[in-house]
Amino acid sequence: MANTKRYWSGLDELQETEAFKTIQEQEFPGAQSVDEFLTDDRLESTHTGRRDFLKFMGFSLTAATLVACETPVIKSIPYTNKPEEITPGVANHYASTYYDGQDYVNVLVKTREGRPIFVKSNAQTGVGRVNARVNASVLSLYDSARLTAPQVDGADSDWATVDQRVSTAMAKEGRKVLLTNTVLSPSLKRAIATTGLEHVQYDAIDYSAFVKASEMNFGVATFPSFKFDAATAIVTIGADFLGTFGDSVYYAENWAKNRKPENGSMSRMHAFETNMSLTGSNSDYRTMVKPSEQGKVATALLQAITGQGGSSSLPEAVQAAVASAAQDLKKAGSKGLVLAGSNELDVQRVVNAINSALGSVGTTVTYDGTDLFKGSAGAVQSLTADMQNGGIEMLIIADCNPAYDAPDADKFVAALAKVNTTVSTSMFNDETASRCSIIAPTHHWLESWGDLAIDRYRIDLVQPTISPLHASRGWGESLLTWTGNAVDWYTFVRQTHASDYTSEAMYTNADWNKSVHNGFLGWNEQVPETPAYRSEGVADAVGRLNSQVGGTFELALYQKTTMGAGQHAANPMLQETPDPLTKVTWDNYVTMSHADVDAMGLNGFIGQEKPASVVKVTLNGASLELPVFPMPGQAPGTIGIALGYGRGANGETIGKAAFQTGENGSFLTDSEGQMVPVGKNVHPWMNVSQGMSHTHQFDVQVESTGGEYALACTQIQNTFMGRDSIVKETDFTSFFAERNADKGEASWNKVIKLAVHEDVNGDGIINAQDAKPAEAFDLWHEHAVENVGHRWGMAIDLTTCTGCSACVTACHIENNVPVVGKDEVRRHRDMHWMRIDRFFASDYSLERGEEEGESVIGTYRKMEDPSGNPQTVHMPMMCQHCNHAPCETVCPVAATTHSNEGLNQMTYNRCIGTRYCANNCPYKVRRFNWFNYPGYKKFANFNPAQDSLMRMVLNPDVTVRSRGVMEKCSMCVQRLQAGKLEAKKVGAPLVDGSVVTACAEACPTHAITFGDLNDTKSSARLTSENNRAYHALEEVGVKPNIFYMTKVRNVEPTQA
Amino acid sequence: MYDDDDKLMEAASALVAKGIRVKDVFSPFPVHGIDPIIGVKRTRLGIVAFMFATTGTTLALLGMWYFMISDWPMNIGGKPSFSLIENLPAFIPVTFEFSVLCGAHGMAITYLLRNGTLPGMPATNPDPRTTDDKFVIEITTEQNALSAAEMETAIKETQLFELSIKDYE
Amino acid sequence: MQKEAAIREPLILGDKSYKDITDDVVGPIEGPAPIGWKIMITISSIVAVYGVGSILYLLGTGIGVWGLNKTVGWAWDITNFVWWVGIGHAGTLISAVLLLFRQKWRMAINRSAEAMTIFAVIMAAIFPGIHMGRIWVSYWVLPLPNQFGSLWVNFNSPLLWDVFAISTYFSVSLVFWYIGLIPDFATIRDRMTKPLSKKIYGLLSFGWSGRAKHWNRFEEVSLVLAGIATPLVFSVHSIVSMDFATSIVPGWHTTIFPPYFVSGAVFSGFAMVQTLLLIMRKGMKLENYIHVKHVEYMNIVIIVTGSIVGVAYLTELFISWYSGVEYESYAFINRFSGPYSWAYWIMMTCNVISPQLFWFKKIRRSLIATFVLSIVVNIGMWFERYVIIVTSVHRDYDPSSWGEFHPTSVDVGVFIGTLGIFFTLFLGFARFFPVLALNELKTILKSSGENFKKKQANH
Repeated sequence: MANTKRYWSGLDELQETEAFKTIQEQEFPGAQSVDEFLTDDRLESTHTGRRDFLKFMGFSLTAATLVACETPVIKSIPYTNKPEEITPGVANHYASTYYDGQDYVNVLVKTREGRPIFVKSNAQTGVGRVNARVNASVLSLYDSARLTAPQVDGADSDWATVDQRVSTAMAKEGRKVLLTNTVLSPSLKRAIATTGLEHVQYDAIDYSAFVKASEMNFGVATFPSFKFDAATAIVTIGADFLGTFGDSVYYAENWAKNRKPENGSMSRMHAFETNMSLTGSNSDYRTMVKPSEQGKVATALLQAITGQGGSSSLPEAVQAAVASAAQDLKKAGSKGLVLAGSNELDVQRVVNAINSALGSVGTTVTYDGTDLFKGSAGAVQSLTADMQNGGIEMLIIADCNPAYDAPDADKFVAALAKVNTTVSTSMFNDETASRCSIIAPTHHWLESWGDLAIDRYRIDLVQPTISPLHASRGWGESLLTWTGNAVDWYTFVRQTHASDYTSEAMYTNADWNKSVHNGFLGWNEQVPETPAYRSEGVADAVGRLNSQVGGTFELALYQKTTMGAGQHAANPMLQETPDPLTKVTWDNYVTMSHADVDAMGLNGFIGQEKPASVVKVTLNGASLELPVFPMPGQAPGTIGIALGYGRGANGETIGKAAFQTGENGSFLTDSEGQMVPVGKNVHPWMNVSQGMSHTHQFDVQVESTGGEYALACTQIQNTFMGRDSIVKETDFTSFFAERNADKGEASWNKVIKLAVHEDVNGDGIINAQDAKPAEAFDLWHEHAVENVGHRWGMAIDLTTCTGCSACVTACHIENNVPVVGKDEVRRHRDMHWMRIDRFFASDYSLERGEEEGESVIGTYRKMEDPSGNPQTVHMPMMCQHCNHAPCETVCPVAATTHSNEGLNQMTYNRCIGTRYCANNCPYKVRRFNWFNYPGYKKFANFNPAQDSLMRMVLNPDVTVRSRGVMEKCSMCVQRLQAGKLEAKKVGAPLVDGSVVTACAEACPTHAITFGDLNDTKSSARLTSENNRAYHALEEVGVKPNIFYMTKVRNVEPTQA
Repeated sequence: MYDDDDKLMEAASALVAKGIRVKDVFSPFPVHGIDPIIGVKRTRLGIVAFMFATTGTTLALLGMWYFMISDWPMNIGGKPSFSLIENLPAFIPVTFEFSVLCGAHGMAITYLLRNGTLPGMPATNPDPRTTDDKFVIEITTEQNALSAAEMETAIKETQLFELSIKDYE
Repeated sequence: MQKEAAIREPLILGDKSYKDITDDVVGPIEGPAPIGWKIMITISSIVAVYGVGSILYLLGTGIGVWGLNKTVGWAWDITNFVWWVGIGHAGTLISAVLLLFRQKWRMAINRSAEAMTIFAVIMAAIFPGIHMGRIWVSYWVLPLPNQFGSLWVNFNSPLLWDVFAISTYFSVSLVFWYIGLIPDFATIRDRMTKPLSKKIYGLLSFGWSGRAKHWNRFEEVSLVLAGIATPLVFSVHSIVSMDFATSIVPGWHTTIFPPYFVSGAVFSGFAMVQTLLLIMRKGMKLENYIHVKHVEYMNIVIIVTGSIVGVAYLTELFISWYSGVEYESYAFINRFSGPYSWAYWIMMTCNVISPQLFWFKKIRRSLIATFVLSIVVNIGMWFERYVIIVTSVHRDYDPSSWGEFHPTSVDVGVFIGTLGIFFTLFLGFARFFPVLALNELKTILKSSGENFKKKQANH
């Protein structure tokens, strides 16, 4: 029965009076205007009594207060119609390829809700891994300093104007030049060809001597490809191939393949170098040589192997080292590999001679035409000259920054003014762009389509993972537009590989889609033919090298593993990632041997409040003032300075993190009110001769200025004080002898025993020999951890860990670790969840102290000093997820507890911040939020969380921690949960390797194995049962879930 | 009223010997030995304290058993949270402290209540000087068989400092 | 009434009657404030305000304004906490333990000593609060059912034991102190003529009228509270020491900490009592009640506890060597030879050497010397805590994280500030409270008063 009831809201409505009708008609009764209201004379008669007034006041005050109490709500806008490939909360991965003129990697880009937030290596191609630089490059996408629109004559403009200006310029007579770094993209090459522009290539770090040498000696103008996995003896003369030399991202993984002692053999590595480099610190034998001696080392090797090296004057120590190196090379024969980092033609020729003499050409070093490093310093020099004398009508500078890193950059800058039309395609208004009349900003690599070919075997694809953030345009497309070629870039790229392609077929071509999915297009394996060797000009090269002499101080410029040649200067994460050797952040500096430091009376120890001494380095007229870092392993009589710093010296807007900030977070300014860049630029000090630029200067003057400058180190104690339960190492021979020993039995990895007051060994007397293994001691009946669900754990191989710090940046990005800036790092408050402890060996030990009758105090003092040319250990250190975690016990509010999956969980929102847990952590891995990093002004200029745009890079799966709480490695618990969910969805048990932590994923050498220790077949479990596996600080009895693998050096036992 | 505790004692005993019931004694400080004479029994506050303390102990242990073992057991540093006895060593300090807390406060509060000495209570001492240096023996006729006159003579015999006779109907 | 051997030095000098005692103690309260007092309270309150300022800045900005870092998570904050708690202990010890031992000389000093305890413990309580990263959720240390479900606190944590120990200790001492105060407030009340102050003291005295029954209960309560407070005072500092003893940090993980900390506490506490009393006795002309004898007695306690502490230091060193544990032995070698050795040697001189001077009767009975040494001892005891906390953590197991600690102005400001607050409170006490336990003094007048002793001698 229908409802006939009628509801009325008042008698008026019931009786339907006129008044009611009128009101009902006008839903909103006519608003009275303010003047009308105020001028209403009846207003006078109305009044608000004092009491009422106070009531209102009181009410509104309370109301205001209450409202103020509410925590700020950040609104998130849901998709109106959801893109079908995106599920909110679930990450998508896209294959792409990274190339910045130096590093070349096949990558997978992780996106969340359409935002790229993480870059990892693309396992599918099987070659190349990310390094710290590639890993952190995702930040540059969100750099708020990026140009949002094209610029004409320094003012914002639009593409129409730009295109019009440039096209007219293109139409003009005269030389029109395109200046780029080495171009690897077939499509770009094709585009350039269509424009008819004169194409000049150069590289920030010049390798033209390599190319030239291979051309002379092997007839192929190409950068050699090194096969470290095939080599059993590697001799590197100043080539930091694990850090920054050549295609280092690829080399590292490749090198590690033959550094696994379990294989029964290891390559042996000799390093002759000036600065302590990543490679040197990982070599088995390291010899310190001056830059002027590096050539002689090469000739001496040649002499030892072929007898054609002539005679040179090398110190005995070096000669001996060369001899042993030569011996190993001979033993290795065609499996030997010699490489030199120097870009001097002579050196490279000699090296080629050695390799061909060894017969290693074709096995460990091949010349099968990689397209890397086709740039030439000479070309830029001549271009500069032509520009200077007005010979250039138009210059398009694409995707490179010659004003900063070209040889003779200052000359180039001067000449730039002489060019009528200058176009830059830089994303930033950087050193070069700011001097160009037109800026046509290109896409970030994460925004653009493209293709890349490093060699003739494979074509890799670049696909956009986000639509362009700003009004930018790929420079390839710009070139096409300017030459009236109307095709869009995507089509152009497709047509490069399939000429019959038409945009109709955009989505239909299955092969193409598969290629895009995989990240590469086609792959034809070929056996490279071994080119014949022509010993061209080696003899005179030898002569010249043997006659090289250096001054009192020689300079070796180098690149930091974290900063490269300077492309990443504005990347706060890379700036904060400590240099793997010096552990200094946010600066470059002069590295000097302790001997020289003491001789010059400079500060030999850099502490929190102990700044570095400043010296004045002078090179033919020009001089720089830089702080001195006392560097173990630096060749006496030499200094090293890192390239890639001092970006934005004229205050160019290249990103906030490129400039120094003071203790209050505001930018430091010099006398002219100019922002002070981080570090000093030493690119102008590259040694340019015969059209090649290399990093050696044989004679610089160094004098103390008496000034002081604070350096921010994350580690101020250099040695591990003989605490061999933290670091265990051995030599390969001893390892091999006991390779089958049970875990805990081998002499190089004995289980740690503690003496007890009972006759354990049953010899009738109770003495120090009566000891039980550490894990036998337990005060209580513990929680079961074996065989109850998962138990996440890791095994970290100290043998293959190179200390490259890729894991540090990976962890940094994955877990939203705040960037805290130089001042806080100096105060020893870096926030890295994952750090790499770098330990130098000391000459001194407790044993030696006893022998020499030195007092204990004195011995310990001496043990704090690393030796002149120390052996180095790189030890990744993060939360050990102890099963008997001391941090958990002491938390008053149970904010950190143990999960039933073996994780040491940190509950941020329960933490009250007593810091007791941090004090009680034997590994000191807990990090405290000293300030409100995402909000406090001190961090406004570099912490990504405080930049409205860069905030986009934050991982939505990980909380941004608030002020006053403790944080630490969570073993990427967000990934574990996601992985378990996946497994649950397919209804199968979790497969080993399907979940992996950010650090393990990033490690180029696969030194970190992550997995479920309760899964008897998991690789982590197996590795942890390996007889090299041990727990750091085992005797403390905290029962960690992280294992370390004894470091094995391939050295003779006597030297171990 | 007397001006010395010794005199007070003698007087008190003398009066009691005469069979006079002393109602109460006001003194500026505890006069040792007066209680038995005027028949004040030993207080039982000590027992009270003990009872409160044991309550505290029980509460503490029960509480911790509930928090750590029963309601929400967690793996904290691998320490056993399976039974109270296993976890007991860690609980002893709190148990002790809590017993002391309850004991002390319970007793103090009882003491104040029984005394009727609470914030805002009026002072009931007959003469302000009793908190300074004078001692008063309070004797009421109601409680005594002897007549007021007899008592007065008896009191006069002691080393009296002052005598005030109030009658309140 | 107890008699006492005449040869014992009298504890109350001069020809005193009950009346005089009252006058001497209550007199100052009635009179106008002396100029010296005004000056002192001005200074101390200015310092106090500065301290409060520093604390507010700290709370507003973050713990980062202190000099702490990833290696040294505690420094001045917990040092000050332990130092203040330690000082607090003397009061309870004097009033409780000495009461149990029927030490009459305590009666002159226990009132102010207890006051000192209360104030010191308040100062101490500040630090665990402000050292928290998020003080606004500090109530989470209480076992409360909360919005995250009934997530309870962790009774395994020594910090939680602290919460209970400190709160118990504070409240019990407060009660103990106040119950003793009630009769004396009554005395003041009955002397007061101004209606306002009469009203106030009337309230404070809870209507006490000194009935025999009440006195009877009063003594029982004092006795039992003393009985409870004695184990309490020992337990509190033992528990404080367990913050370190139960950790695994070399240099903290030491089983002798409880007794060592307790004696250290008494040591510093008595020193502070000396400092305060010597000032008060001058300022308030209490020479007749607090005189050389009392000072000497306290100095003797200082020698004893000081020596215990000294032995503890040496024991630590010996055990660290005897244990043969690399980390332990290094921790202690680093203490006396490392970057913070200067602190270690200050501690050694002030705590072990200086109190030994009290073996000389001259020094023991010299007020100046006592005053100076009492301050020296307190400096030493502050450094003891600093040495234990900072030198242990700044170089512990993993050399890669070895660090340094450098205090900031805020570190200093907060500490000085608490001193200011403390003295402000104490001066307030000295001005408005009966600084001697009247009722107790009166009970011993006849046994230990000079004039009465003379009389005895004459018989």
